[in-house]
Amino acid sequence: MRQLRLYLEFSRKAFQRSAAYRFDAWTRLFSNVIFLFMWGFIWFALYSGKGNVEGVSFESMLSYIVVSQMLQGIHGAGTPLWEIQERVRTGDIAMEMMRPYDYPTRSLFSDFGNIAFHFLTAVLPLYTILFAVFDLHMPTSSSQWVLFVLSAALGYLIRYSIELTFGLLTFWLVETGGVEDIFYFSISLFSGSVIPLWFFPDWLETLAYFLPFQGIFFVPNSIFVGQLTGQALTEALLMQGIWLVVSYVILRFVWSKAALKIVVQGG
Amino acid sequence: MMFISSWVRGTRLYFHMVAASIRAQMQYRYGFFMNIIGWAMSYAGTAVTMWVMLYSFQSLEGWSFWQLIFLFALAVLSWGVCVIFFFHFRSLDQYILNGTFDRFLVRPIHPFFHFMAMKFDVGAFGQLLFSIAAVTLAYIQLNLHWPIWKWGVFLSAVIGGTFIQGGILVLISAIAFWTTRSERFYWVVMFPAKSMMNYPLSLYPRALQWVVTFILPFAFVNYLPALLLLDKTHPSISPYWGAFSFAVGLVVFGICYRIWMMGLNRYKSAGS
Repeated sequence: MRQLRLYLEFSRKAFQRSAAYRFDAWTRLFSNVIFLFMWGFIWFALYSGKGNVEGVSFESMLSYIVVSQMLQGIHGAGTPLWEIQERVRTGDIAMEMMRPYDYPTRSLFSDFGNIAFHFLTAVLPLYTILFAVFDLHMPTSSSQWVLFVLSAALGYLIRYSIELTFGLLTFWLVETGGVEDIFYFSISLFSGSVIPLWFFPDWLETLAYFLPFQGIFFVPNSIFVGQLTGQALTEALLMQGIWLVVSYVILRFVWSKAALKIVVQGG
Repeated sequence: MMFISSWVRGTRLYFHMVAASIRAQMQYRYGFFMNIIGWAMSYAGTAVTMWVMLYSFQSLEGWSFWQLIFLFALAVLSWGVCVIFFFHFRSLDQYILNGTFDRFLVRPIHPFFHFMAMKFDVGAFGQLLFSIAAVTLAYIQLNLHWPIWKWGVFLSAVIGGTFIQGGILVLISAIAFWTTRSERFYWVVMFPAKSMMNYPLSLYPRALQWVVTFILPFAFVNYLPALLLLDKTHPSISPYWGAFSFAVGLVVFGICYRIWMMGLNRYKSAGS
């Protein structure tokens, strides 16, 4: 309990810091809107003259893109990969290790604070308006809302674990160019952030299905627009849970190795 | 006369400094190659995304997969050249805030040249690697046989595109003289705008098409030349506009350079 209070204090501080840099939140929102706009028009053009494609209507697809962009807006308020890498390179992360808290948890709670601010002041108002103005598909029952929020939260934690793990690889690699690109490519394609897995060629869909990235955006988005229900939904949530455990264990393993690495260099 | 000899000297110094910059980056050979491969890979990733997108839908606004790749690669090609010379302009704000910009003013070299010569980004070879390979593949796949004048249009698009995008980067960096911010403007305005231009312009609303043709002329970087080179048409814009990329590039760069110099003069008076 005292531990939790300690970490929540980090969230509070991060919230206040975000409030001091409001300009950043708004500029981020601006580019988020531009990408929403771009993908909206791309999907509009792809669907022109077509009814349902792979059993998905244009309205469902548009709703998918909007909710996906909303989640990406939320994820974007967290610590980006390059910042983690920078902390490792400059040695700031070593200072964190000397302090009486657990860095991966501390950083997660700081991100919560940033996200809370960004969500309340930018994402929530904007997307409330979008959903009110456009005729978009939304969850029709409260249980669907709960499942969506649960799935989105699992997705957030999966991305957090993977991103931090990739960031910590900087301890071993002097040049992280290639690693970074693998991460960004996987996040953008296999997560279904802009193209849902429904439209993938079968072999690629199967591959994506067995990767952790689909749990980040594809599963919550599909639940939101009502394309994922019943048995398949339960399975998808279970998969997300399994991937969260796996990616968390890997994160812990890499973190403990990284901690050793610092001790070696420091001695 | 003074003016010309100063530019000649500046150009010689520029190449001297560029050579030094390349040698410095070559020190870390592994990093040097990883950087290039990394960039090429990330553009290839966007191409794969386009392929997946068209797998179920066949075409986008009448553009087939290879036509789309051509459009995209043409933008990446001139962007690659642009990155080599101008990409570091976006972080001018950092130099101003740290006070390190002042050293560009006290040396006997034109400050614009000096700042430009400070970095010669070899990572951009990755963009060139990807885009040259992609343009070549698209040329073969689309069975194109360009007459000489179309090669001229292509060359004008690459050089013009470099000047247009370079000019806009210079313009963004100039904002730092007034507001001490520039990097953010790049990521918020230019990066999304560039991403949008990877897809056919006719997707977007008229007002936006108008803005990127006449105000921030990104359309001359890839869309308009691609119309002409691939024998495509647009409902209201003649494809022959695509032949004017080079001229548009010179004008844009000239204006942006002027604004940068205006900002620089302002900076000097405020700095002391």
